[in-house]
Amino acid sequence: MITARTAGLVSCHFCHTLSKLPKNMEANSVIHCPCCQSSLHSRHPDSLRRTWALLIAALILYIPANTFPIMTFIYLGEGQPATILSGVMHLLESGLWPLALLIFIASIFIPILKLLTLLGLLLSIHFKTHWRPKDRTVMYRVTEFVGRWSMVDIFVIALLVALVQFGNSATVTPGIGAPAFAAVVILTMFAAHTFDPRLIWDTIETNQLDSEDNNGK
Amino acid sequence: MKSNSSNPPQIDTQISKIACPDCDLIQTIPPLSKNQIAHCLRCHATLFKNQENSINRSLAFAITGLILFIISNLFPLLSLKALGLVQEGTLLTAALSLFNEGQPLLSLLMLLTTIIFPATTLIGTIYILLQVKTNNINRYTAPIFRFLRSTDAWGMLEILMLAILVTLVKLGDIADVILGTSLYAFCLLILSLTLLSHSLNPHDVWNKLRTKNRCG
Repeated sequence: MITARTAGLVSCHFCHTLSKLPKNMEANSVIHCPCCQSSLHSRHPDSLRRTWALLIAALILYIPANTFPIMTFIYLGEGQPATILSGVMHLLESGLWPLALLIFIASIFIPILKLLTLLGLLLSIHFKTHWRPKDRTVMYRVTEFVGRWSMVDIFVIALLVALVQFGNSATVTPGIGAPAFAAVVILTMFAAHTFDPRLIWDTIETNQLDSEDNNGK
Repeated sequence: MKSNSSNPPQIDTQISKIACPDCDLIQTIPPLSKNQIAHCLRCHATLFKNQENSINRSLAFAITGLILFIISNLFPLLSLKALGLVQEGTLLTAALSLFNEGQPLLSLLMLLTTIIFPATTLIGTIYILLQVKTNNINRYTAPIFRFLRSTDAWGMLEILMLAILVTLVKLGDIADVILGTSLYAFCLLILSLTLLSHSLNPHDVWNKLRTKNRCG
């Protein structure tokens, strides 16, 4: 089991070409991939710090995203501001349970799953745990893949705002919660992007190397 | 299916050694036969795909997609008929109406994810694939393709498709929803985009660059 880093190589993020890392590299120098000119890093630079910053920002914005109304639907003088949760409850009361389930998964379940997964992954690296690295990598891949689908609620609001404009009788106006929720989705997408799953495997290798050294290799 | 006995159905992956992007393990990739996928031994990430005829197929889907994308933008996607009035919604009005309602950032987000990134993806992919096909790559090929790869997740038309379905059901009982001309083109556009992302093999482009720059 040899990784690129232990072999003194660096793999290009885009084209996966392996390059030799110069021996005496200065601290701030940047090397570029000979094949696609992308800047090369053995691990994403500042991965943990950046992911923490983006995740904490997302966690903070998650509060206004859920407490403030995302939109107000007024039909023939009736209607009140709706939050994400009250929108789901309203759909459920109208008997549209498949729709309620869909919005629940996209707007409530996936964002929470994403925030908790990223938090768990970051903590697992800080505590250098060896717990199921393969499963953690799979969790990371799922998080990265499903995150964008949370945007569906924002798109529904945009479509309703564009379509339901009938003067005083029926209007839809977006609320403060909508940009906050969109920001949560974007920040978690960036957080998943800056997180480097190779860090999950690094702790295991360091340990293997240590034990090999102890055996007088 | 065309087969040539002197040519076994294998492509030169050029880089036989690859480090897994998810766990950094160095592995040797054996020659792959048609439609075979190489997975990482340790974390099961996809390392390499050998897709049959991927450049031509992707080019076909991208050109189809671009034509359908233009049609989708020309006509209304949905119209709403209520109280004797008709309100039409196109791709662009969906993005711009948020601006009029005092949400410029959301409007920009809609504009980027449903118009600008899908358009750059389609035009850029056609440009790059034509370059690869005609063996005509220049110094802009790599930066453009890197840009396309990094903005890939931000084109969200398939999510808009789901949002359209939700809107249809939501508005169904309070108003008459008229399906617009563009909606049919839009459905086909989603299909070609899905097929494009499935058939496109980034290593076709990277391999060309590796040959040109004699590296890897």
